[in-house]
Amino acid sequence: MRPENYEAQRHPPSHEYELNIGPNHPGIEGNYAFKLRLHGDQVIEGRADAGYLHRGFEKLMEGRLWIQNLAITPRICVPDPVPMEVSYCLAVEDLCGLRVPERAQYLRVLQLELSRFASHLFCFGGHAATVGMYSPSFWGIADRDLILDLFEELCGGRVYHIYNIPGGVRRDMPPGFIERVSNTLDYLETRLPDYDDLLFRNRVFVTRARGIGAMNQQQALDWGVTGSNLRATGLPFDVRRDDPYLVYDQLDFDIPTEDGGDAWARALVRRKELFESIRILRQVLERLPDIPGPIRCPIPNPLAWNVPAGSTYTRVESSKGELAWYVVSDGGERPYRTHVRGPSQMHAVQVLERLAVGSRIEDVAQIMFSLDACPPEVDR
Amino acid sequence: MSTGKELTRWLDDLLTEIEGIKVRRQSSKRLRVDIEPDALPALLALLRGRASYVHLSAISCVDWPNEEQFELVYHLWSYEMQSLVSTHTRIPREPGVYLSVYDIYPPAAFYERDIHEFYGIRFEGSPDLSKFILTEWDGPPPMRKDFDSEAWVHDHFDWQDYNPEWLRQLIAEGGGIAIRADEQRFSHHDDGRDQPAASQREPERDRQSPNTPEQPS
Repeated sequence: MRPENYEAQRHPPSHEYELNIGPNHPGIEGNYAFKLRLHGDQVIEGRADAGYLHRGFEKLMEGRLWIQNLAITPRICVPDPVPMEVSYCLAVEDLCGLRVPERAQYLRVLQLELSRFASHLFCFGGHAATVGMYSPSFWGIADRDLILDLFEELCGGRVYHIYNIPGGVRRDMPPGFIERVSNTLDYLETRLPDYDDLLFRNRVFVTRARGIGAMNQQQALDWGVTGSNLRATGLPFDVRRDDPYLVYDQLDFDIPTEDGGDAWARALVRRKELFESIRILRQVLERLPDIPGPIRCPIPNPLAWNVPAGSTYTRVESSKGELAWYVVSDGGERPYRTHVRGPSQMHAVQVLERLAVGSRIEDVAQIMFSLDACPPEVDR
Repeated sequence: MSTGKELTRWLDDLLTEIEGIKVRRQSSKRLRVDIEPDALPALLALLRGRASYVHLSAISCVDWPNEEQFELVYHLWSYEMQSLVSTHTRIPREPGVYLSVYDIYPPAAFYERDIHEFYGIRFEGSPDLSKFILTEWDGPPPMRKDFDSEAWVHDHFDWQDYNPEWLRQLIAEGGGIAIRADEQRFSHHDDGRDQPAASQREPERDRQSPNTPEQPS
């Protein structure tokens, strides 16, 4: 909402007052406002206010060719763009009945897990910054940059890769890439104990994060919570294992859980997921040299591609939770309807509004960041 | 879960008992259900209450103007049975009113508010249908198929020529911004194969102001 259109709400005389946080504030990685009603420094009511990043992607995609839409999909979520590309490609492949070569599937997993790692590092940094510790955010962004370097080498783009296309990936790895990914992983693994010292054994962070924004498992299920936030309430659910896509059913990894359901538990789950991502990546790097074959299957002329009529719902596990596309084709060369279901549509709106009630002003930003929401997923 | 198959068969049998329902199994984890709009809330209550489909993954809306219908798709996931049921129903496009399922699935509040905003469907009983994303929008619901974004822009906005001084200057100089060869990150070739011949190379320009025209030497 533009400032000139803002009208202060008139309340009866009381000790309550209204506080408008945002749209720019430390609680979230993007523009997203949160309107609070406070009594002293205690939150009585919170109302999310989205729309600052609305670009009408779903409408735009209806007017573009199937292949042109690839350039739009990663822009829906900047910190973790790869799952968007992959899930859209999975939807188109499902509609066309394309069989993706195994090598392309492993390359996608490689990319997905690197992206998850980078996104979690970003989240640690932001979460720590909300309690006044800025070193982890510098470290997280610096270490994330090493992964972005790998992406740049793989496909030329640091953030928006547009590396996947329906049927496979655009190009194979450059020579020596496996070794460089491996070296980066070795380095990142040696960094993780430093993060423990800096953040997870830091008394300031532990004391501030414990018990903040807590929900139990029943509440999480009722509110539609997914991803790391759901696993932090003790439910070991992961789309990668329970509704497998790509080659995740051939990879060996665990699903870490915590029981607390608070900001601290959510941070711990993400910390453990870093180790699982490294474990998956090492398996992928070990197998990739022995997997021959093409990196994409033949597709029709992409500029005159009539995708068979039908509808599909494809889900992947992004770093933030369950990400899904509902794609409808009427047999034309453009999608008839695309609907993206981002995990933040639940986390940043209803879940946040409920968790904020009863907390204090200084913890609101932490609750927001510990849910790891991404505003462009809400706005689209 | 070892009893997963039995449970899904039980579910198939259960769904075939309801009248006016069409069930199609798409894969081991995907089930498509087509149902009349009157029976949908009862089916959702059944799926949630007796068949453990506790997670409403999304509600999607598709506009079919030729058939004068909106298609609503409720995607439900069961953590126990590990399968996804997509429940399709079609409501008339006019007046575009349907029942809210908020009392069965609380996450529906967001999706119903979203569909109300972008398609103009009113959900009876939804807790909050106020504007959320398009706070300052007073036009027709923009995701409907008969809304043409381009025509709207043409009717409501004026075209403006953008031709500032710095751009004209840049075009007069031949356009573009020169980047010295040693500052280009991806054009280092040891063999020099892709480099143009020395006579064709751009003369090196001042690093501080790459746009200033060269001084004749």
